[in-house]
Parts: sequence; C-alpha cells; structure tokens
Amino acid sequence: MAVDTAVRTGASPSGPGATITPATTRRRLPPWHNPWRHAWFLEGFTWLYLIWSIVPIGLAVLFSFNKGKSQSAWQGFSLRWYLTDPINSVLHGAVYHQAVIQTLRLSALTTVITVPLGVAFAIGINRWRTRTSTTFNFVMIVSFVVPELIFGVALFSVFSQLYTSIKLGTWAEVLGLVIWNISWPAIIVVARLVSIGPSFEEAAADLGASRFEAVRRVLVPLLAPAIFASAVLVFAGVIDDFVIVDLLSSSSATQPVSVLIYSTTRGGNNGPALNAIATIMLVVSLIVATLGYFAYRWMTRGERGANTQDALANITGM
Amino acid sequence: MSRRDLLRGLGAGAGAAGLGALLSACGNAAGASPTITSLPLPRKNHPVRWPIFKDNQPIPSGLKPEVGATLKLYNWTAYINQAVINNFQKKYKCSVEWTSFNTITDAISKIKSGEADYDVFVPTPDNLGQLIEAKLIQPLNHSYIPNIAQCWPDFLNPFYDQGWQYTVPYTVYTTGITWRKDHVDGNPAQWKNGFQFPWQKKYAGKVAILDDYRESLSLGLMYNGNYDLNTTSASQLRLSKASLDDLDTLVGGVQIDNNDYTNVPSGQVWIHHAWSGDMAAAASYMPKGVPVEVVGYWFPANGVGPVANDNMVVLKTSKAPVLAHLFLNYFLDLPNVIENISFNGYIQPLIKCTPELLVQEKILPPSLMSTVVLPSYFRNGLFELELPPTADVQWEQDWLEFSGGI
Amino acid sequence: MSKTTPKARNTREQRWVWGLFSGPGIVTLIVLFVVPFYVVIAIAAGTLDIFESPVPAWNPLHWRAGNFTSIFGDLVGRGAFIGPEFVRTVVYVVIASLLSLVIAYPTAYFVTRWAGRRKVMFLLLLIAPFWVSYMMRMLAWIDLLQTNGYVNKVLGDLHLTSQPVNWLGGKASTVILGLVYGYIPYLILVLYAGLDRIDQRLLEAGRDLGLNRWRTFMRITLPLSRQTIMTGMLVTALPMMGDYFTNQLLSATPRTAMIGNLIDGQLSTPGLLPQGSALSLLLLVVLLPLMIYYVLQTYAASGRAA
Repeated sequence: MAVDTAVRTGASPSGPGATITPATTRRRLPPWHNPWRHAWFLEGFTWLYLIWSIVPIGLAVLFSFNKGKSQSAWQGFSLRWYLTDPINSVLHGAVYHQAVIQTLRLSALTTVITVPLGVAFAIGINRWRTRTSTTFNFVMIVSFVVPELIFGVALFSVFSQLYTSIKLGTWAEVLGLVIWNISWPAIIVVARLVSIGPSFEEAAADLGASRFEAVRRVLVPLLAPAIFASAVLVFAGVIDDFVIVDLLSSSSATQPVSVLIYSTTRGGNNGPALNAIATIMLVVSLIVATLGYFAYRWMTRGERGANTQDALANITGM
Repeated sequence: MSRRDLLRGLGAGAGAAGLGALLSACGNAAGASPTITSLPLPRKNHPVRWPIFKDNQPIPSGLKPEVGATLKLYNWTAYINQAVINNFQKKYKCSVEWTSFNTITDAISKIKSGEADYDVFVPTPDNLGQLIEAKLIQPLNHSYIPNIAQCWPDFLNPFYDQGWQYTVPYTVYTTGITWRKDHVDGNPAQWKNGFQFPWQKKYAGKVAILDDYRESLSLGLMYNGNYDLNTTSASQLRLSKASLDDLDTLVGGVQIDNNDYTNVPSGQVWIHHAWSGDMAAAASYMPKGVPVEVVGYWFPANGVGPVANDNMVVLKTSKAPVLAHLFLNYFLDLPNVIENISFNGYIQPLIKCTPELLVQEKILPPSLMSTVVLPSYFRNGLFELELPPTADVQWEQDWLEFSGGI
Repeated sequence: MSKTTPKARNTREQRWVWGLFSGPGIVTLIVLFVVPFYVVIAIAAGTLDIFESPVPAWNPLHWRAGNFTSIFGDLVGRGAFIGPEFVRTVVYVVIASLLSLVIAYPTAYFVTRWAGRRKVMFLLLLIAPFWVSYMMRMLAWIDLLQTNGYVNKVLGDLHLTSQPVNWLGGKASTVILGLVYGYIPYLILVLYAGLDRIDQRLLEAGRDLGLNRWRTFMRITLPLSRQTIMTGMLVTALPMMGDYFTNQLLSATPRTAMIGNLIDGQLSTPGLLPQGSALSLLLLVVLLPLMIYYVLQTYAASGRAA
C-alpha cells in the first residue's frame, strides 16, 4: 500500500534504501491528476441531460393547472381544465374522459389477456423441448424486433381484409396490443424460469406431488415476481402505445389518450385540457410503476441476484 | 353480392370470405364481378333527382312531435352552437344528445356499419349518393320544414338533390386565400389570378396550404387556369402536382395543415390557403394587442372558386323522425341561424342573412366581410364533388407523391 | 438449462403436456402474427377491383408483381418520390441515433460508475421518461417550440436570435432532435444494463497497471461495451425507421417526410393499400439484416444465461 500511495502522489523513491518523505513535504499533484477523483464533468453532463429530459414534461404538467389558455404565460393556479370548464375540461368534455376510459379499458383488457397467455407460453416453451417449440420461440423473438409500423400495417390489413367480422375498434385494438406486448411476459418469464431451474419441481416430485400440483404450488409462486413485473410492463406499455391503436381505431369513440393528443395537436387545438389528460395518465403510470416496484421487492425479498437484470440483459443482447 | 355488401366494400375494402375460404378461393381470386351500375354522380350541369324507394318512404304528415324523446345529432366537432340546441330542447321539451366526428370517412363507416342510431346527420354533398342508395337516410316530408322559404331559392332544387327530397342546407363556405396585411404587400384581388398569390419567394417559410387532397390539388389546377375541379385527366393532375412542387421549392418548404384559424392570427403563417368559415372566426384567435383588421380573406369577385355546402339529413334509423324534421326546420330560422353563426363562423344560406346584417350584429368584423358567401358565388362557384373510384385514387396518389404522407 | 430430468416422469406424454401450456400462445402467434404478414404479402401481390378496393391474392399462383414494379419505379429516376424519402429517413435516423449515443453513453457511464450511493436516485430519474407517454413528451416540446413559446422567449432574452424562430415549420433539426428526445430513454436503459455488467474489478486492475482514465476507458470499457452499443443502436434505430408521428407533430412540410409517413398515408386510402403493403415489405426487407443480428444476439444471450 505504501508503494501505491507513492505512485498516487507522484513522489518517487530515489533509490533502494531511500526513506519515504513525510506527508507534509510530499509534492502533491493538482486535483485533476487524481485518477480516483469524482467525475464532475460527467455528472454535470448527466444533470444537463436530466434537466433537458424532465423539465419540458414538468412544464406541461404545470400548465395543465394554468388558469388561462396560454402554454407559456402563467396565469394562476386552477383546476379549470380538470373539473370546472363546461366544455373543455376532462370532466365535462366527453371526448376527453372517453379517451381516458378507453385507455384504461385497453390497458386492463390487454394485460388480463396477455399475461396468462405469455406466461403459459413461456412455461411450455421452456419445458417442451422440441423443434416446434424452438421455432415458435424464435418467432416470438422475431415479433419483438419488427418495427411497430410494419406490425401495424399487417394487423390493419388482416382486420380489414380477412378477419372482417372483427371490425376496427376496441377489440381489434386489444388483439393488436396483445400480440404486440406478448413478448414481454414471454421473455421475462423465460429468464426467470432459467434462473430458477428444475430443482424445485424435482423436489416437489420427490415429495409426491403430481405434475399439476408442482406447477400450481411451487412453480407459479416462484414465478410470481416475473409475472407481476411483466404485467406492470404490459400495462404501462399499452398506456403509451400509439401506432397500433392509431391504425386500428375506427372513430373518436375508440381512440385512447395517445391518439387523442396526436389528432388534437395536429389540428392546432392545443387546449390545456390535453395537458390535463396527459398528466392524469402520467400519474396513473407512476402509481402503477411504484406499486409494482414495491410489490416486486416484497415478492423477491430474501432472494439474492437480480432476475430483472437477467431479463434486461436478455433483451439487450448482452 | 347485394348492394349493401358492395357499398361496405367501397368504404372498408372488399373482404375475402374468411379463414375457411382462404385457400379454396383459388380460382376466384378476384371475387365475383358485381352487376351493379355505377352510382350517378351529380354535377352542376348534370343534376340528379334521387329515387324514392318503396321501402324507404317519408313519414306521413300531420304527426305530433315525439314527447320526452332524445334526439341524437351526429355532427363535425365544434360545428354547432350548444346554446341554440338548448333552446330547441326547451321549445320541444326533449333532450338532444350530440356526438361528434373528426373526418367524414369515420362518420360514414360508422353509419354504414349499423352501429349507430342517430337521428340527424351532417354530410357533404359528395357522400349523398352512397347514403341514398344504401337507404341510410330517409326522404323528407316537406310539410314539417316550412322555414325552407327563408333559404336561398337555389336550395329548393339543388343539382345534387333535385326537389330537396333528402337534404336541407346547413352551412355554405368558400375556399380562398387569407393573408396578413401587416406583413405581406399586395392583395390577391389585385392579381389576375388571385390563386397564384401563395407562389411568392419573398415570403419563404411563411406559406401554407390546406391538408386536403381535393382542396390543394384544386389550388394547383386553378394556378394553371384549369377550373374543372372534378377532372379525371391524369395530365392535368400531374401539372397541378408539378405546380405544388414548384411552390414547395419556391417558398423553402410549404406547410401543409388545416390550422389556418390559429396560425394566421398568431403570425406563424402569413399566406394561407383557407376556408371562409375558419377565417370568419379569426377575431377570437388574435393575440393580445393585434387587431383583427390585419387579417384579410380573398375569394374571386366573379365567384369562380371552390364553394361547398354541408347539409342536414334525417337517418333512416331515426327513432324520433318528427323531432328530427323539426330540428332541421329550427336551424333554418333566422334568429337561430344568427346565433349559430356567432359561434360557428360558417355562414348559412338564408336570404336575410347578409354580410351587412352580420356586421351589424357584431358577429363579423367589417374587414372580413369577404368570408360571407353570396348567392352569386354559389351559382358561379366550383364544386368539388364525388369522383369515379379510379380518378379518386389518382388524386390521392398524386397528393401522396407531393406531400410524402404528411 | 440443466439437463437433469425429474426422476421417474420424463416420458413423451409429460413433454406433450407442457406443449399444451404453450398451445394458446402458439395459436395466438400464428393467428395474429404469421397470418397477418401473409395477408400483407397477399395484398401487395394482389390487384384492385373496379371500386379501387384491394383484392388480396391468397393463392401464390395468382401473385402479381404490379405493385412492386411501381414501387421500384418510384425509387430512383425522374419523378421518383420514394427513393429520396427513403434516403432522407436513413439520414435522419443515423444522425439521431449517433446523437443519442453521444448523449446517452456518458450519462449511462456516469450512473454506473460514479453515482455511488445516489445510483438509485439517478436510475429513477433516468427511467422516469419511460412512464411518461411518448405523446405527452412530444406535446411538451410542441408547447415550448411555438413561435411565442418558451424556447423563443429564452433565445430572445439571451439575444441569440433577433426574430422568433419558426421551429415547427418544417425544420429537419427539429425533427431530428424530436427523434432523439423520444427514443433516447430506451438507449440509456440498454446502455445502463450493459455497462453495469462490466466488472468493476477489471477497471481497477487497469488502473493498478498504470492506465490513466482515458486509457482505461479506451482499452477496457469501450471494447467490453461494444456489443451493448451495437444492440442499443439497434433498439433505437429500428423503431425510428418506422416513425411517422414525430414528424407529423413537429413539422408540417413534405420536406421532412419520412418513409413511415408515406406508408401511413397509403393506409388511409383503400386504393393505395396494395402499394402501402408493398412498401412495408420493402422496408422490412431492408431492415431484415439488422433484425436478424438482434435476434441472434438475444438468442445467444438467453443461451448463455442458461
């Protein structure tokens, strides 16, 4: 360690047998030569990025509480665009609260369908090792990388040309969102299954459990965090989704918040009511994310290792 | 194939038989050839008198209005004054539910799908053909609508619906050029062809045209002195598109949007291809301290420019047809019309509803009197009407090539 | 995945039961993924009827090349409008991706290496945009970029511009920055996950061997993160290629139109749907190498993790 210190401070022993000079007379290099110093430049850079990233959103949220119509001049605090304005508030403007309800409806329906489907798929693919299963595993991963527009074109085509009994509208949107989001539970649960391994079920089998009981009483509880995490991701993903719902929606009654913001902004009618519904959806997403995070932590208490890390790593190809 | 299936195909694409017939349709890939004749296309010089079908007769006369009913209105967004509706509700002791749509294609497909049970609908003349042939709207019983006498006489026998069997007019409007007098020199009225006004390099970055394939390609046609806005000539369309390309290059990027009513008052755009009703409402969009007089609107004095009118119709599925007729009648009465225009900006074709009256009622600033549609404009004006399908696709194609999808 | 099997039960029957689990998922994939793509091909290789509605050619023997030839005809040469738009899209995406990398990498690097006790806080702040809808983030910027919005106000106050700039009037820079703003959170997350996996001890070893910071970065961190960078760029660039809404919102002129806008425009007209389908397939083919690379990486990764 002494040599280390000497290297760090740049003092050089003058030869064998030289004494180490006392600290007060050691020549010290300027702070910026210290390789272990804190990265102030990088930190500043990061903060600049965070400000650039978050401040506009903060301003949009702020101006949803503006008393007047302006987006740049603060005219006082008011809940006008949420509750009181007779035409243009979330409460009174039918188009606004319809959009909020449609978004929540789509999110709930999609999550309820996608998660069980994806989890079952993951379990099956993981345990059933045949060429068919590997093929479909591959297909599942491919569906993850197709750009959403092309996916949307395919879904639009199929619903308008082939599955014509399902017209464009809420059910078409739900089915489109299901297939778009099914890769989330599939990939996350597979990662979790891989890290769990078959040992628990083997133990259960040794103790006399039937295969079905083993799944129900051992596997599913172990998978609970992954199932839960994927449910949260699917729910939030649907709230944010735009392309698929835009292409598959039929009229203003079936448009969720993302499509409403898009079409109203294009129309130049940027009332603060848009900021208000966007803020509402933001709050809903944050609540879901926070609850999900704490629930996940509670579910994986006592476990070591980061299983979401594995899933993330899978998805990022590391 | 029944007519209804065919019309559904028009709107949403001809569907294949379904999963079961997937591969069994080998030999008949193109589907059975339809035996229907093409729908008549009304034109000013080819007026159309629609048939009245045996199974779609008007309601009998002398009925009393339905009591305690709910009248369902299906209209464009922000296109009617709620206050007038409230008065109607009070007068006839009913309630009115109003649903809005953003695009006419949305609305038509919803009505065709049978999911809707609206009473009153506001379509454009180019959609009447398919609505009538599919028996989606019912013929009117004129005895309930005496206020038609207040309208311009043209509407007793319009070319798109002779004998006003299915429609009453709602609003009329023109498409012209709007500009900021404080930033732009000159005036389209001083030009030989006012529609060439946007083609000025001086105002680069401040020029916009409408995001509507019919309107903007028509602008290109008129730039070249071609006034047949329903042309099926591919070469004329190519020429129009080339002129629009020139415009784009000349002004360093022409903006394509329908926000004339906000962008011109705010000064973001100085010359905009615009709709009259939008600009009539400019006063409420002016920023603080900028007088509305700086906004000008021009339409050719001889009336040779795009005009259009929206209509009100009664849907066949209406559960309160008498009330629906009375609603149509209510919106042809002068005091209600004045109040409607004060919210809407779009003129309604009543004889007494003159520009002077609107200025007097303080609904319109004098500088924007040109946004009012005169009967002469209507008679001489050019209508953008329904096109044969191949031509329609050609228009869409050319527009897409120009706009790149924006 | 360990190859040890439960003691008594690995019969074919057992494996088949697991197959039942994935049955619904497989059916869903076929019905909602494989079949729709076949429909796209059928429409692109099909014709139009007399009402200009698309007639899909279900039987491969009836496929026609008409739509594809017209697309190729519009790629290069006089009157071509697809080719230039394609090129423009690629240019925008490349610039936006590189810009995103330049911003995201230092940020992710800082949070993984230097954040210390504040790591969780920084991570939360970085992840926050995920939970904000893309539309809302764009809405926020549109508000700021209006002619009389904050950006022009600040620029005017700082005397950097003499006149308010029309940011939303067809500027390529606005569109590119919009793309960066919209997609960078994904890139940061990917880079964070990747950089976080780099063993700190390797860096310390480098230090101990006398490398200074820059050298440590160049010779240890950068090579180790090369894979992450590649994947991150793919995760960013692939969706950007199909983007059309950023453009629509931030610019209203044909000069900044991207290939996604063209496809979106073609979808709204039944008569142009076959061309739109053909164009989508073309886009897919162009992006296929990137997609395959990504799939192989992910496949290899899940194999490695097993």
